[in-house]
Amino acid sequence: MSRPLTICHLYPELMNIYGDRGNVITLRRRCEWRGMPVEVHEVSLRQRIDPDQYDIFFLGGGQDREQVLVCQDLLEVKGEALRSAAASGACFLTVCGGYQLLGRYFLTYTGETLPGIEIFDAWTEGAQERFIGNMVIEVTGPSGAPLRGVGFENHSGHTYLGETARPLGRVVTGYGNNGVDGMEGCRVGNAIGTYLHGSLLPKNPWLADELLLAALRRHDAGATLAPLDDFMEEHARDAAIARSLGHKGIGRRNR
Amino acid sequence: MSLRLTASVAAGKAATALSRRLGAGAGSNFPGRVVLGIEPRALQRMAAELPRGNVVVSGTNGKTTTSNMLAAILREAGLHPVHNRAGANLLSGITAALAQGSDLRGRPRGDIGLFEVDEATLPAALERLQPRLVVVTNLFRDQLDRYGELESLGRKMSRGIAELAGRRTDALLLLNADDPLVATLGEEGGLSGVSFFGIEHEGYGTRGLEHASDSTHCRVCGALLHYSTTFFGHMGKYACPNCGAARPRPDFAASSLQMRGVEGSSVTVASPLGSFEIEVRVPGLYNVHNALAAAGAAALLGIEPAIIQRGLSGFSTAFGRSERIQARGREIVLVLSKNPAGFNEVIRTVSEAGGKLRLLLALNDLIADGRDISWIWDVDFENLAAVAGSVTATGLRAWDMGLRMKYAGTPAGEIRVIEDMGEALDQALEDTEPQGTLFALTTYTATLKLRDEMLRRGFVKPFWREEAAR
Repeated sequence: MSRPLTICHLYPELMNIYGDRGNVITLRRRCEWRGMPVEVHEVSLRQRIDPDQYDIFFLGGGQDREQVLVCQDLLEVKGEALRSAAASGACFLTVCGGYQLLGRYFLTYTGETLPGIEIFDAWTEGAQERFIGNMVIEVTGPSGAPLRGVGFENHSGHTYLGETARPLGRVVTGYGNNGVDGMEGCRVGNAIGTYLHGSLLPKNPWLADELLLAALRRHDAGATLAPLDDFMEEHARDAAIARSLGHKGIGRRNR
Repeated sequence: MSLRLTASVAAGKAATALSRRLGAGAGSNFPGRVVLGIEPRALQRMAAELPRGNVVVSGTNGKTTTSNMLAAILREAGLHPVHNRAGANLLSGITAALAQGSDLRGRPRGDIGLFEVDEATLPAALERLQPRLVVVTNLFRDQLDRYGELESLGRKMSRGIAELAGRRTDALLLLNADDPLVATLGEEGGLSGVSFFGIEHEGYGTRGLEHASDSTHCRVCGALLHYSTTFFGHMGKYACPNCGAARPRPDFAASSLQMRGVEGSSVTVASPLGSFEIEVRVPGLYNVHNALAAAGAAALLGIEPAIIQRGLSGFSTAFGRSERIQARGREIVLVLSKNPAGFNEVIRTVSEAGGKLRLLLALNDLIADGRDISWIWDVDFENLAAVAGSVTATGLRAWDMGLRMKYAGTPAGEIRVIEDMGEALDQALEDTEPQGTLFALTTYTATLKLRDEMLRRGFVKPFWREEAAR
């Protein structure tokens, strides 16, 4: 690739409610440890973006008020560019509020509709029950073998997937998208939405590397990633999974 | 005095004694629940007996340090505060403290109540205590899995304060001017006396906001606040570019300030009583705020500057907050941090010590710590990794802590992950050269556990014995 792998961190000062920037830290480090040039651009309100400039887009979670501001900006300023990037295969990792905004809409508990930018065929309804707790999911890894992912969810938005959307994974313990269908997150091409905080990628490096590899392969179909020593990551994941399975989620409660 | 109250107090004292013998942590709420189980109105009945009334200190960070500083000043003034130390700050903890501080008939041995109160418990505590003075230190994103969103918490606190104002119009309120969410807590109305504390001196501020910020919206019109100076987290000098709402002028202000790393700071306090100097013997800007809050509270209670100065200069560190502990020829500096802003301040302070630091990092995820440990990724551990010599990660989430340091830049081979805290303590001490310093940075319950391990090894006495020895 002629330019460094470039990550777009969207609205970092607004959508960073709970350590989600750990995902950007993880992507950056895993490039640095491989000697791969990488850049992170922070992009915020009212700034236009050139969709071809970025390989990976990251959008974290935020509080309600921030989410409304970002929603407006996405609709008025960046939405088109992001849709175009997704259509051309750019990678997206979006967490919680970010995930919701990439869907079709969010119907708040008080009845307002916040439109999303429709990268995911999914929609979210604000509910009284808040899903809080450790969550373990199972996904089919790139080699076909099942892989576990672990993190922490905290959301009162219940997300439902449409016909053309696939979930990120199946819930092993926790609530997931809506506490009913046993699914968590959404995956469309190289775009991922998830309710997993944690942050997600540090304990689930296989997913970080999937995103990095997909980004590289957009420019070079034969690109490969050198393996890293993920001893600590794997132990941390196993320890977190053991803890999650031993402890139930904090439980539903009213807002 | 009612029989029911007597019975509840007696039971509470017995429960406390039992708790201590069983080695239950100093933060236990069990004795208080026993008291309230027998007499549900024990709290308000005992609180009403205190001749000089009650003071409440609330907020996310600094409650314990501020109230301990204020306790030191009150004692210097010849008062005998009944104080819920050791951070037992829910209604049960306050009740237990009152029971301990009372005779068997529920009559207080002290003369003024001083209670640190958990933010979510504030409305209920205000109703029962009817305090003459309420101090709010700050509001930070802390344990979001417990409190949901910061704004609804602020509204509930505001309402609780307004209800207190309705019941006693002479109640005083002391708020942090530098925190936009706290500065407006008195506005729901009716309070005659709202005072503020804050830092005026800008030498230790920076331009722009730290990334891990919250509360950056104008409480009046919702626009993003503009900061001319930031002290830490979202503390600073701010104004709304849209509606003009601005930070209130602090009545108790640090007009001049000199920071001296882990030794603390020298502060000139400008106040309605004139200017006076104080020595703050604990480090960091956050402790300057705590000292200003304590000094301001004391002044509002009618205590004169000379006594405030003496009280603060005699103040030694509170439980687990920058405690210095001698252990096997080394010195352990034990610092509790609960959330990103606090941790960042601690990192900034210990980095000033320079050199290659010996670090023991303890991360727990029990309810009191916050079950979700994602917040560690909001902390600038990169700054700590830059000065780290050896790192031992421990606690219930030891691996997550070790992993964070790996991504912060410490080579994986230099990070020890030892889940058992006693073992980790022993190893970390061994990794520290004789006469050297081990910095132990810990979350709330991990502080308690680590202190227990130190107790077992004879580095410290049981906390309540140290209290009695004061």
